[in-house]
Amino acid sequence: MTTTQPTGPPADAGEQARIYEQGYRAYTGDRTGVPGAMRTVITTSIRSVLGLGRSGRHKIMPVVVIALAYVPAVVFIGLAALLPSDIEESFLPSYAEYYGFTSTALLLFSAFVAPELLCSDRRTGMLGVYLSSPLTRQTYLAAKTLAISIILTIVTIGPPLLLLIALSLEDAGPDGWGAGLTLAYRIIVSGIVLSAVYAAVSMAVSATTERKGIATATTLGLLVTSTVVTNLLIEETGVSPWLHLADLPTLPLELAFRIHGERGEWGTTEVSTPLLWLAFVVIVGGSAAWIWNSYRRMLVQK
Amino acid sequence: MGAPRGLGVRSGTTPIPNRSPIRHDVEVTFLVEADAVIKRYGSFSALSGATFTIEPGITGLLGANGAGKTTLLGMMLGLHSIDGGSLKVLGIDPYTAGAEVRVRLGYAPEHHTLPPDLRASDFVRHVAELHGLPKTEATTRASDALWLVGLGEERFRPMGTMSTGQRQRVKLAQAIAHDPNLVLLDEPTDGLDPMQRDDMLALIRRVATEYQINFVLSSHLLDEVQQICDAAVIIGDGQVLAAGSLEQLRGDGSDIFIELEDEALVSKVSAGMQAAGATVASDGRTLVVSGEDDSILDIARDVCASHDAGIVRLNRRRLSLEDVFLETTAA
Repeated sequence: MTTTQPTGPPADAGEQARIYEQGYRAYTGDRTGVPGAMRTVITTSIRSVLGLGRSGRHKIMPVVVIALAYVPAVVFIGLAALLPSDIEESFLPSYAEYYGFTSTALLLFSAFVAPELLCSDRRTGMLGVYLSSPLTRQTYLAAKTLAISIILTIVTIGPPLLLLIALSLEDAGPDGWGAGLTLAYRIIVSGIVLSAVYAAVSMAVSATTERKGIATATTLGLLVTSTVVTNLLIEETGVSPWLHLADLPTLPLELAFRIHGERGEWGTTEVSTPLLWLAFVVIVGGSAAWIWNSYRRMLVQK
Repeated sequence: MGAPRGLGVRSGTTPIPNRSPIRHDVEVTFLVEADAVIKRYGSFSALSGATFTIEPGITGLLGANGAGKTTLLGMMLGLHSIDGGSLKVLGIDPYTAGAEVRVRLGYAPEHHTLPPDLRASDFVRHVAELHGLPKTEATTRASDALWLVGLGEERFRPMGTMSTGQRQRVKLAQAIAHDPNLVLLDEPTDGLDPMQRDDMLALIRRVATEYQINFVLSSHLLDEVQQICDAAVIIGDGQVLAAGSLEQLRGDGSDIFIELEDEALVSKVSAGMQAAGATVASDGRTLVVSGEDDSILDIARDVCASHDAGIVRLNRRRLSLEDVFLETTAA
């Protein structure tokens, strides 16, 4: 019979041993400060709205809206690749006209995003948690505004930019780098203008109520009603075409036409471009003042 | 509820450098210094001249509902301006330098309505990032903090599926995950049953003791402040009624309490003791006698004997926090 000697730990076991999980302990590293806090609010907000890291039902809305915005671009890219160039030019929309295809997606997205990000924070008490961090009301709102604007640019800048890149690769884009860059610049500015107006209106509504459903319905109602009422009044009663400036969803679309150097639906003699820009500033500035006034007075602690 | 995670030894992965648990000490004498703080909401005066200091340890902010506790916590966080006096938290004015103060504070609000579909670990990590921790560090510390409060096994559960007790623990975890100097807890045992409440208080005490984290907790429950706090600030009608260590507030036991058999003799005994130099307060058949030294015991014995007054009870008087609260609020 053989016997085995018990084997003890190697002589240098103590030197090799390492503590891997120390549990809770003091933190002595650097802190990222207010910029870091804003960054995490922006990224968390974007992930939340897009349903990333959340259950399947939270992904439905963003997927539907993004599909609505991108499918027309994909279809046009496909047709441009398949059809001869002389035929394709007759049915391809201009870049400014393309926003007409994405306006429904933009309307739905703006009515969904701002309530999701602003109302929820107040309803669940997260606003109090945010404001007990290095964030202030100003930096919190700045971070949320950036998050909402970035999300909306997925719909406003993404599809026409995709169209530009794809058509350029198919030799159906603008002539030369200069024209291409100018067009890209116009797409980006138009996208920012569209995002700014829709974000401003939906954020102003969301600053007024804690309930997401009410904020979504009010945003949709306000945008749709402003179009219907202004068009009815102008067409039926012949009031001044300046009333177009109160048509909230169409105003940034009209500005997009002017940015692209095209004639929109409103005549330039009836509603001049400087007047359009002035209306844009009033809407965005007025909404910002409304939002700040709501948050400035808000008791948030509980 | 999972057990707190202890030290573990593994091989084959990169070791985490072993850092000292020594805390970055607060270089101020007082964590909070309030001097004649006034806060008004229109004609309503929430605080009218509150003066107190809070030293390291666990301090209870005690007062009835609506006494101004939450307002005071909000002012410590820099969420509300003050209308008079001065307030410093960690040596800094929280209203003018809010971000600088709040990065070193943890806060657990009173409400339980946290985002229901957010996982506890994501929530705690997010709050840690808000307080300036890099993402990797925030993720690790969120996990560590949740293990510490006993939610290690539950950390990936959405908060909407958690009980009130678990959510209170999540709130504590998010308040400490970024390693603050001072943690403000607003009614941390609200909604808990007696056993959960004792567990929560023991947990706060353990975190304070083991990790030298300072706490200010607001409560309207006297016994829970008495159970775990080192000091208390008693607020009522917008004023600080009493403040100091529990020892100071409850007295040093130098007074004596006497209960006589015959109420008719109380006035004679009282007069006799006052004549002997003691300070006496009487109520019904009882007297509270204060004196310079232990001689009041002899005085009490002699005066009672001289009036043939039978003594039912005679003992050193040591106040409970409830006595202090009732005395100060009555005054």
